[in-house]
Amino acid sequence: MERHMEAVLKNLTSSVELLAAAAQSGVVEQWDKQTLSRAFRWARYCEHLVSRFHNNPAMVRVMEKQLQFTNQSLRAAFCGYSDVSFSDLSRCQHLLLVGLLNNPKLPISLMKMLFDTTSPVNTNNSEYQDVTGFCSHIIQSKFACKVLRPLTHSSLVGADAEVQGMMLMVRLAALLSQGSEVCRTEHFLDSVLQGCEGEPQHFCLVITAALLTPKNSSAETASQDFLLNWLEKKNSVLQTMCSALPTTLLMELAKKHVKFRDAYVDLLKKWASDMEYSIDDGVWVQNNSTPTVSFQKLTEHFLTLFEACPSQRDNVKNELIALKISDGDFDVSGLSVWGDLLSVLNR
Amino acid sequence: MFYTTRPGFFLAPPSECTWTRSPMSQLQSLNLHQTSEPLLDVQEMQFWLDKAVAWGQADSPDTQKDSCLHFRRLIEFLQQLLTHINNMSSTTESMKRMPFLGQFLGRLCWNSCIIADDTSRRLLFQCLWGLYSEQPGNAVERKANQWIRKVLCQLATEVDDVAVQELNKSMGLPPEEYHLKVLRKMVALLQENVGMSCNFSGNTNERCSCDSILATSEACVPLVSCPEAAPLIGALLQRPATCVRAHLSEDFLDALSSAYSSQGLSLEEPAIVSLWYHSLSSLEEAMLSLLESVLADTGSPLQKLEERIAQSVLPKACAQHCSIFLVASDIFRSVLKQTEGNESVKSLIQIFTSCFLREMAALQPQKCISLKAFFPQSPQRLLVPLLTLPSEMPQKAWRHHLNWLSSSLQRLAEEEDSSSSTRGNHKVFEAWFLLVQCSQWMQVTLQLLVMSVPEDCGPLLWLLTFYHHPTNRGHNKALQLTRAREALDHLLSLFSVLAGPLPFDRLQSLVTLLSSQPQQPSPSSLLILNLLVGFAVFFQQSLNKSTEILQTVVDQSGLVDEAACVLRSLELRLNEGSCLSGDANRVHLRIEALQNTLTHMHAGRSPAVNQARTLTHSIAGEST
Repeated sequence: MERHMEAVLKNLTSSVELLAAAAQSGVVEQWDKQTLSRAFRWARYCEHLVSRFHNNPAMVRVMEKQLQFTNQSLRAAFCGYSDVSFSDLSRCQHLLLVGLLNNPKLPISLMKMLFDTTSPVNTNNSEYQDVTGFCSHIIQSKFACKVLRPLTHSSLVGADAEVQGMMLMVRLAALLSQGSEVCRTEHFLDSVLQGCEGEPQHFCLVITAALLTPKNSSAETASQDFLLNWLEKKNSVLQTMCSALPTTLLMELAKKHVKFRDAYVDLLKKWASDMEYSIDDGVWVQNNSTPTVSFQKLTEHFLTLFEACPSQRDNVKNELIALKISDGDFDVSGLSVWGDLLSVLNR
Repeated sequence: MFYTTRPGFFLAPPSECTWTRSPMSQLQSLNLHQTSEPLLDVQEMQFWLDKAVAWGQADSPDTQKDSCLHFRRLIEFLQQLLTHINNMSSTTESMKRMPFLGQFLGRLCWNSCIIADDTSRRLLFQCLWGLYSEQPGNAVERKANQWIRKVLCQLATEVDDVAVQELNKSMGLPPEEYHLKVLRKMVALLQENVGMSCNFSGNTNERCSCDSILATSEACVPLVSCPEAAPLIGALLQRPATCVRAHLSEDFLDALSSAYSSQGLSLEEPAIVSLWYHSLSSLEEAMLSLLESVLADTGSPLQKLEERIAQSVLPKACAQHCSIFLVASDIFRSVLKQTEGNESVKSLIQIFTSCFLREMAALQPQKCISLKAFFPQSPQRLLVPLLTLPSEMPQKAWRHHLNWLSSSLQRLAEEEDSSSSTRGNHKVFEAWFLLVQCSQWMQVTLQLLVMSVPEDCGPLLWLLTFYHHPTNRGHNKALQLTRAREALDHLLSLFSVLAGPLPFDRLQSLVTLLSSQPQQPSPSSLLILNLLVGFAVFFQQSLNKSTEILQTVVDQSGLVDEAACVLRSLELRLNEGSCLSGDANRVHLRIEALQNTLTHMHAGRSPAVNQARTLTHSIAGEST
């Protein structure tokens, strides 16, 4: 076992060195078709290592440590070298490709081979997979997506978010099935969220897609429950979801997940309670929360919820009545947000 | 816009080509440099340059549609451009002559429709390679090299959406896998839309699920060769054409048929059948390639041929779509006319028809339409009698059936002779064509004729003669009939010799009858050859003697291949139950023995392969 581990670490180091050499050195000038194919084979080997061990914290730690050493020595050898982390290895072929294509020493014959347009798509995953046309196929699928994208409006979350939502479910299921500690799975979700910092809306679509994946197995149910629990704690994500998602998607989510529905109701009540009456404009406005929701939008949300879950109509209305009573139960507009909400909802 | 931000996009140095200069002034500079060499048409170049600018990345429905609309022409232009680039002595020269080239190619590289398509991507890359200097001689060439590397690198590795990229990174999803997954997802979504049933109410203001069909098919123009898009393309093709709004784009069908002819499609069988249904040129292509492959191969057993015909899926397609069958029949008609009833063509048509009938029988009854619709031109009286297989009828009824057929056809032919109108001609041709399609009856005729000779053989002999001499034009049926009867008597006396050596003079005169034309066997010699082979197989004469006669005659008359062909068709019919059952085993053994003899004799093969090739080419030339 130990010897096996040793071999894995040695291979890992060689592969990362190979990545660095492919990107930074003039060695590639001597490469031929076989060398190139071998390099991609090593890159696939690294991707395989990640999928094999990413749920094994002990292994990940050992490999990360090994990567640290390797990065250190490579940093000394190549100026401008950027470190390779364990998670980077899952995109090892891509890293290799980026390195090679940006290396001006890459022989033009190899470049022509990578961009070859005559070879059929390589579907077999045999060990001696040919890299001829590798880039051409990437370009084909990438731009084919662009051609089809304007037509795929039938998916409200979009094909991109659907794919990522599905992937999120796969990763969650894998983490949960390993019996990993809750904090590790939460940490994973946190890191995904962090990656999307600039584009919270896209992240919301991905979460939505994951939550709307059909529940075919108990593993999927468990993943979605975990995701909902996590979402309850991430109020800002929930807020973004409820304010940015199209109504139909919110309805779908509320219909499918009781937990989401309850969180949605709570959020709507919170938004309402945050509102103040502006005497100048004669409307209820939200003052100190972002994103801001108008009174009209708020009532629309309530109506959406009632439409999605008719059984909730009476419950929620009773709650609103109770809140109105606690505000003094006056039937005068502008005094209690609950009273005004009820009068619009009862119309 | 994107191209202003891309570094190194200017292929030529600033003095030669800059963005500040309008494309027109660049083209004027093209004129100045004009030499005796033919250059690209300036106006055309200008047209494409303007188009490339207007299209941008083709990410709006309008630009996408326009890109697809000009696809074929653009490919032709890129082809010219490529030739042009390859004719230049160096990149420096290319840049001097065509300073706009970098701008033009660069823009096209980022046009989704153009770069997604196999053919235009290949041409674009070839143009880029054409501009790459292995040994750059100056700054322009070094810069061009850098630019080419940069463009390609960006095309393959750049991700436009940073959020998507970051998310993929944290989930460990490599970009190449991600693109493939998204593409498959999109294809599945669109496939679902296309599969939705039509809800058009007739009210033109209302939306219908078919409204998206045209746009989807237009978007698929650049994706016809993309294997991932095959399920969507299949769904589009197989959508029942029930709604007036569910049109497929002509460009889409053209793109499919041109990809089909260059073997660039990866569609499933039902989708291919639908393609033939929608695109006449693809159907013609398929028919001609079947004709070519079958006619080039004259040596294979007919079972092999039958397998090949069935594997072409064309008979199945014919059974599913009457219109495909009608086109196939028209192609067969024209081939038959051009080849004056070539034997290989005739057996191809016969086998094709029997495969078609089998596929018809296999169809679910509710999908079946009346056979009459498939044979609108055939004499309806003869249709059912001829389409009935010999095996579907009691053997005792065969003779009566054939006598009836013979007299019906005879009447039809006499009417033609008396009227001499083209309509009459047409009627006889159609009757004869149907006979060719169902010529398993001709093998039965041959057997019955030989076995009953010399009694009561008039109608059968007439039928056989008509099959080989359908018209009076150059055939003179009455004369042929007399000759056939003479040959029959001749053969009867030859095969009736019980002991002693074969009479040399009779053999010789038979050889003379058969070798009337040295170039190509005439219909009359083929008729006699059929009779000869029929006697060798079916007549009550010892196998040794029969073999000796056949061997001697076909060897001297040079008709070994043709005799083998007749034997093969008899063998095929035998397997299908078109032989008198009591005789089947004996006949089978005799055919086998005779075939062996002919195979051993087979020394120098006739150039049949070449003949077939020329034949199909001339047909292809005519149909286009």
